[in-house]
Amino acid sequence: MSAKVLLIDDDSDFRAAVKSLLEGHGYTVLEASSGHEGLRMVLAHKPDVILLDVMMETSAEGYGVTHSLKFEDEYAAFRQIPVFMVSSIEESPDERFPMSADVDEIRPDRYLTKPLEVPEFLRLLERTVGAPHGAAA
Amino acid sequence: MEERPIKESARPEIVVVIDDEYPIRLSCEKILTKMGLRAETFEDGACGLDGVARLKPDMVIVDLKMPGISGMEVIGRVHEIDPLIVIIVVTGYATIDTAVEAMKCGGYDFLPKPFSPDELRLIVNRGLERRRLALEAARHELEQTMLKRRFVTFVSHQLRTPLVAIHQYLDVLRNLDETGDTEARRREWLDRCLARIEELQDLIKDWLTLARVEGGTLFKERIRIDLNCLVADILETYEQTAAAAQVSLEAHLPDNHLLVAGDRSCLSVLFDNLITNAIKYNKPGGKVTVSGSESRGEVVIAVADTGIGIAEKYRPFLFEEFFRVKEDGAGKTGGTGLGLHICKQIVSEMGGTIEVASEAGAGSTFTVRMAAWHDPEAEAGSKSDERQEANIDCG
Repeated sequence: MSAKVLLIDDDSDFRAAVKSLLEGHGYTVLEASSGHEGLRMVLAHKPDVILLDVMMETSAEGYGVTHSLKFEDEYAAFRQIPVFMVSSIEESPDERFPMSADVDEIRPDRYLTKPLEVPEFLRLLERTVGAPHGAAA
Repeated sequence: MEERPIKESARPEIVVVIDDEYPIRLSCEKILTKMGLRAETFEDGACGLDGVARLKPDMVIVDLKMPGISGMEVIGRVHEIDPLIVIIVVTGYATIDTAVEAMKCGGYDFLPKPFSPDELRLIVNRGLERRRLALEAARHELEQTMLKRRFVTFVSHQLRTPLVAIHQYLDVLRNLDETGDTEARRREWLDRCLARIEELQDLIKDWLTLARVEGGTLFKERIRIDLNCLVADILETYEQTAAAAQVSLEAHLPDNHLLVAGDRSCLSVLFDNLITNAIKYNKPGGKVTVSGSESRGEVVIAVADTGIGIAEKYRPFLFEEFFRVKEDGAGKTGGTGLGLHICKQIVSEMGGTIEVASEAGAGSTFTVRMAAWHDPEAEAGSKSDERQEANIDCG
């Protein structure tokens, strides 16, 4: 079975482009347009890697997702799923939450800047979840 | 001034007393402690400054005449530690000169020896009130800075989002293999790219309009504007758009033309936004009705649609910048989130009001109220003549 990538992003065009790219390279792609929907998909489908947008309906919705994954019991079994956070604004959670002590806890595994550099992004995915089956290229 | 209750969780306010006379230190400590404050006393300037650096007090009461470091110097050094610390100067040599000098150095108030407990209490309370206000102002300033920074981040995000989508499409397209379905996808994606470019154009246009409204440059003049004509022009412009959306446009305006004092471009932007919204957030087979009336010197214009409506929970935020209703049909419709904010700004610039009434699923009505055109010279002449004239202007 091919590796499952969950895309959590409120921009359907961004999802469409990335989905097409990943499917072309043999990955299975799941889509969610909000943090809540993304968390439901995590429970239902146990993805191998999560690509997570920061600013969705609310300006820090992505961090809400990493927070739930780290702290809520419901997601205990999914805590190890690698999370790549994507944003068009280069900004770390230290800047976003200057007063917060537990900022380390909501740090994702990796930050990526939008738009994604295609070859680099594909290499990163392959290193993270292994080469997909039935890769087209 | 009313005394502000100290928050339960807050630490007691700290007052440092620096005086070389033991009885003064003792009595100050007693009185201040009774006031619910934490008092710390020091017998000379050097110890006192150490204490201030360590305790970060809210207030320092300092004797002007002490052996060692002088009171004047203490004032300067305390303010180097924290410029918001309120300093009360105490001295037995109460001359106008020393008082003025102490105030110049940054002292807040002056207490001549000997003083009564009531005098001390009064001056301390006043000083602490000042400190609270200063802290609040500083906090407010920090909040404003944060808000501004947030806002810059937010606007950059809004501007970048469509660019990112376009970039990603093009980048992925370039990396796609020349397989069968590529051509169809290429066309679809190019269309999407164009749509996103349009979105960006709209955003920049609205952003500029807003800047002009807020900067006061869009509002150039206050002249007599015939709203019947203005609305008719806008409705005519959008006839095709409305027809394509299967929405009919109607105007129910009184025969006596509605006249207001305003700026033509501002009023055009205002009603353009309201009418295009009413078309955009409508349903096929729906209707947009612009109705108006005038009574007691006030013109009321309502733009009503039969569209998706606005849930009550969203209504308070509707006129805020970048607010977008993300629900059902609304989220799928492109929009900058600035249109209604611009409307609100324009209306308040003209001294009017705008409000919304809505029933989710059944439609919304935006009502604008503003002062009717008032021409003192026309007072004497016949009013209906003027209206007649306006009527002719329109054609």
